[in-house]
Amino acid sequence: MTSSFLIQIDRAEGSLQRLIGLIERRGFHIDQLAVADAGAHREVRVAVRGRDSGRCSEVLGRQIDRMIGARRVAPAPSPHVEGAVPCPA
Amino acid sequence: MTTAASTLPKQDATPATATGARLVVEALERQGVELVFGYPGGAIMPVYDALTSARFKHILVRHEQGAAFAADAYARVTGKPGVCLATSGPGATNLVTGIANAMMDSIPLIAITGNVASPLMGTDAFQEIDILGVTLPIVKHSWIVRDAADIPAVFAEAFQVATSGRPGPVLIDLPKDVQVAAVARASSPATPKEPAQRLDPAQLRRAESAISAAQRPLLYIGGGVRIANATEDVRAFARSTGIPGVCTLQGLGVLPPEWPSSLGMIGMHGLRAANEAVQQCDLLIVLGARFDDRATGQLAKFAPHARVIHIDIDAAEIGKLRDAQIAITSDLKSALRALSPRPLRIDAWRTQCEQANTEHAFRYDAPGEDVYAPALLKELSERAGDNFIATCDVGQHQMWVAQHCRFSTPHAHLTSGGLGAMGYGVPAGIGAKLARPDADVITITGDGSFFMNIQELATLKRYDIPLKIVLLDNSSLGLVRQWQELFFDQNYSEVDLSDNPDFAAVARAFGIDAFRISKREDVSAGIERLLAATGPCLAHVVIDPRSNVWPLVPPGKSNSDMIHGVPE
Repeated sequence: MTSSFLIQIDRAEGSLQRLIGLIERRGFHIDQLAVADAGAHREVRVAVRGRDSGRCSEVLGRQIDRMIGARRVAPAPSPHVEGAVPCPA
Repeated sequence: MTTAASTLPKQDATPATATGARLVVEALERQGVELVFGYPGGAIMPVYDALTSARFKHILVRHEQGAAFAADAYARVTGKPGVCLATSGPGATNLVTGIANAMMDSIPLIAITGNVASPLMGTDAFQEIDILGVTLPIVKHSWIVRDAADIPAVFAEAFQVATSGRPGPVLIDLPKDVQVAAVARASSPATPKEPAQRLDPAQLRRAESAISAAQRPLLYIGGGVRIANATEDVRAFARSTGIPGVCTLQGLGVLPPEWPSSLGMIGMHGLRAANEAVQQCDLLIVLGARFDDRATGQLAKFAPHARVIHIDIDAAEIGKLRDAQIAITSDLKSALRALSPRPLRIDAWRTQCEQANTEHAFRYDAPGEDVYAPALLKELSERAGDNFIATCDVGQHQMWVAQHCRFSTPHAHLTSGGLGAMGYGVPAGIGAKLARPDADVITITGDGSFFMNIQELATLKRYDIPLKIVLLDNSSLGLVRQWQELFFDQNYSEVDLSDNPDFAAVARAFGIDAFRISKREDVSAGIERLLAATGPCLAHVVIDPRSNVWPLVPPGKSNSDMIHGVPE
């Protein structure tokens, strides 16, 4: 299942590398990625898919949110979204 | 012994301009830094040049990994950020294990690296490494300073990031041209403020209801309690409610071990009473813990009957591995103080836990004449008393320390928990002893781990740091050997260290007092000699190579499947 996020991050050195690395390190494939200027920030739209059934997109959203330089993280509608992966019980 | 800087060099009237290197020193002084652990090299030479007039002391280690571990331990003991300094390339990469260690255990560490000059970055220059890229997964945040004028603000932000919320390591990379650039001084930057967290009253009330309704509640105490300085709050909560508690490796010392309902460590080498309590409880109150696999065993079978209240300052930890029915994202002090603890009617449960604690208590009457390491460690910590701080290496001895030493506070037990980095013990002992000269800081190491940072004996000697070292020598990589015995059909592969040198002679070659203990009857006198030593001292303790750590949960199994061996 795919989940999408709309993320606003600082235009700081390494910020995009940091974001992409975090997503992959936490066990998600990146299916789509779009980056756009948004004034002082970058706006990133990313569609991700867990590598296995244990990956929870809700937790990933919180992990991105705690990243220094992440200004806003929100689930984004996408044609691929079939619903968030439930967190492990 | 030399400690933090005590004499302040005279400062000339502040000039209107300063080099980047000078601004680095001033930024560290502004943060109240007392000690910096480091090792110079080409790309950080301007900062080392400026260091000679610094109001803090620099400790020259003999390997950058030692600098990172010493700074980590300084931070664990003081609660203040530890600072380490290295040059570019190999100097920077040698810090990596220490930075990763700080990340895994949430330690505020400021790693400062030099780099080649900006025009050379990206050209594969001599000693050039993209250390920002290398360390991205193991830092809370990092910066390359591109303009010397940014140094004051970057350092102020770095200290704030490292210490706020869930602490962690940060890295500041300084190209050489930035260090030598002269820039106009600006006014001191304001310290960024941490946004206040607001507790959710509805979640607090739900937590109170769940606690009141529980028949078999249990506290699951992690390293977050130490980080939050919430030990007294947890003790008060446990006292008021009467709820028994278990802890992780990093939570040792939060509940006094003398308390009957302090059940000790859970997990792979946890205590039977603690693991059993988790498996039987109906409410698990998780305080600054993260369901680490070494603690939980097979996750699906961990606390199978329990609802979970998870309190953590890091929202990303909640639901990461185990769903929480009640989640409270908050620092522990605020959350525990907002809950209204009342005495609970759980006498039968508490009695059950306390009886199990007594029934399964460790015994120290192992047969034989050889030194029995658990008994030695128990006696060592009891004789050192509340003044005891242990810095551990990694292996069997680390688990024996966790099982058998007595810790009066969680700040007294320094161990590489998440990363499990061999080589932590001696440099961590240096950092801890410099931070707490009044404490009996004792490094407990093994013959495998000791070699990983043996060069730091030279640092001990140089600064005459009276660190005590207990080296438990089983002539093997004991924990790996134990697993090969139990899970790999006794196919012993590359674990034999029987060609070890005479460790006492090695220590004496560094100018450090050392002696050997090989018989059980000599243990008490050896401990007395070690504790009485006024300078650095090493006790080389020979133990049986066949010694194992018990109990043990086999890898991948549930904590219900403990195996006990002999003696328990």
